[in-house]
Amino acid sequence: MSVATRPARVIELAARGHRSIPVLVVLVIIWTVFYSRSSAYLSFQNITNLTLQIATTAILALGVVFVLLVGEIDLSSAVLSGVCAAVAAGLAVNGGLPLPLAIMAAIAAGMAITFVEALVIAFGVPSLIVTLGGMVILQGLILVVLPPEFTVSLGGTSFARIASTAVPAGISYLLAAVATLVFAGYRLFQHRERRSTGTRTSVATVLVPAVVVAVVLFGGVFTLTRQRGLPMPVLIVAVMLLIAWYFTTQTRYGIHLYAVGGDREAAQRAGVPVRRMVIYSFLILGACAAIAGMVDASRQLGVSVTSGAGPLMLNAIAAAVVGGTSLFGGRGSIWSAILGALVIGSISNGVQLLGLTTEVQYFATGAVLIIAVAVDVVLTRGSLLPGRR
Amino acid sequence: MTTLLELTKISKHFGGVRALHEVDLQVDSGEVVALIGDNGAGKSTLVKVVSGVESPDTGEIRVRGRNARLVSPRAAAEAGIRTVFQDLSLCDNLDAVQNLFLGQERHGSIWNGRRIRRHVMEEQAQRILESLSVKLRSLSTPVVALSGGQRQGIAIGRALISDPAVVVLDEPTAALGVSQRGEVLDLIQRLREQDRGVVVVSHDMKDVRQVADRVVVLRLGAKVAEFRRDEYRLPDLVSAMTGADEGNVDEGNVDGGADR
Repeated sequence: MSVATRPARVIELAARGHRSIPVLVVLVIIWTVFYSRSSAYLSFQNITNLTLQIATTAILALGVVFVLLVGEIDLSSAVLSGVCAAVAAGLAVNGGLPLPLAIMAAIAAGMAITFVEALVIAFGVPSLIVTLGGMVILQGLILVVLPPEFTVSLGGTSFARIASTAVPAGISYLLAAVATLVFAGYRLFQHRERRSTGTRTSVATVLVPAVVVAVVLFGGVFTLTRQRGLPMPVLIVAVMLLIAWYFTTQTRYGIHLYAVGGDREAAQRAGVPVRRMVIYSFLILGACAAIAGMVDASRQLGVSVTSGAGPLMLNAIAAAVVGGTSLFGGRGSIWSAILGALVIGSISNGVQLLGLTTEVQYFATGAVLIIAVAVDVVLTRGSLLPGRR
Repeated sequence: MTTLLELTKISKHFGGVRALHEVDLQVDSGEVVALIGDNGAGKSTLVKVVSGVESPDTGEIRVRGRNARLVSPRAAAEAGIRTVFQDLSLCDNLDAVQNLFLGQERHGSIWNGRRIRRHVMEEQAQRILESLSVKLRSLSTPVVALSGGQRQGIAIGRALISDPAVVVLDEPTAALGVSQRGEVLDLIQRLREQDRGVVVVSHDMKDVRQVADRVVVLRLGAKVAEFRRDEYRLPDLVSAMTGADEGNVDEGNVDGGADR
């Protein structure tokens, strides 16, 4: 047991949310390197571009985090995002359905498809295989869903406004202020709850997080409203993260989610509905995939057979893992989706800005991914050496 | 002293294999009963019957004097029997409070998304761990970082959340170092002081000697001997378990089992 104490300390710190710190350090290093090569890298305009570029990856990665947390994997959600975008675009542009209805229909379609996948997985087929097959089937399905010319153009439609809308600076600051106040109020409420039962607590548990949140929110709004106002996709990501944070950290659902990923049998014995938790995770992934697909289509001003293809799937999984969510289940947080997407997006953005060749981008992204998984293995097993425990 | 758990003529077959044959077992409040036996003696089967994992073919189970049908672990828990299995069934990535209350969380209504009432759980966790003299640096440390003794404490603490009459411990000291073994034996002592009935399955004679008020020896699915504390020497246990010396076994039966 004494052999295990040192790694155990590391795991303890990592599991308490300090796992975001290495990612933040990596992010600062990446930014410093690119900024030293080109001062345009950290200009307000480029940072705004970066947030728009990573929005799709971040939203999809958020769904992937939920699936990774219960110890499963998904390979089909990127193509699914293309299918859902095709459904929404077809209904809204070609079918003339009001945009909100088309959006709801696309989200419902995404959840229905991941629900079917989750049912097969619940029967015991490995998720790797189910979603690999699902990916191929969905590549066929997108051909069915798209009209005969295999593209839907979204230029000038209401659909295009999802990504192009900018929230005016005034309203953005107001939103940041409201969010900060609600958060601080919630922490204060918890502080008083704890004090009512005589649990050790201090005002610092309210003030420190509140100040951090205020700095992040107001700093973000300040940076991102320099151009035209806060880009709508950024707001969408922020709202999704907020909801995900609440449910994963403050509710019974969150505890069960982590329990299933930590030790499935122990969770089952304690009465946690394991299969239902796995299905929930895939439903969330389906909704995230649909939203990611629509945001992406709106930004690209079109849907085609290549929607959701390319590096999106690997980027989303890489983002979740680089951000600190374990491939082995039960460890990580929803913040890894945004942090990992930032790391991967920052690399490709910088490479493009400096006019470096594409292979540099692939090398750097791949290396970061492998290092991140190595860190994950060390934290899970306590050592990188084979055969030790 | 009241009788908390009473098994009468419990038999269980798996196919043609006789796992248990007309086993009687009685546990009183504030009493620690050790269940020992060689591999395949029927200890695990008996634990499974008591914890609701397996149903006996024939026989009667009474908890606090009432007939109980332990058809599932949940039914056993509701009847007042909690079992701590050898692997402890803890989620390594969760902290002490989350593990203690896993599956029995205190939470709000559907309207706030079943928000966890963490402060209530922490307060109860504190009380339960104190009652077992388990000391943790922090309640929010993932249990993977805790010692074997502390983990055992949390697993037993979890069993106490629903205030059971009988706690069954399956090999609680196996795979533990000397000092942690001492901790676990102290935990068992605490359970006895709380006037619960405790069943300890063990193969460690020294532990049994130290902690058990009564020792029940199983061999080939049948109860072959029963000793009260200080009525036996270690060789008596060994010969009863192995059946090496029939004379000793019979003596044990007369000494400990005659009144039942």
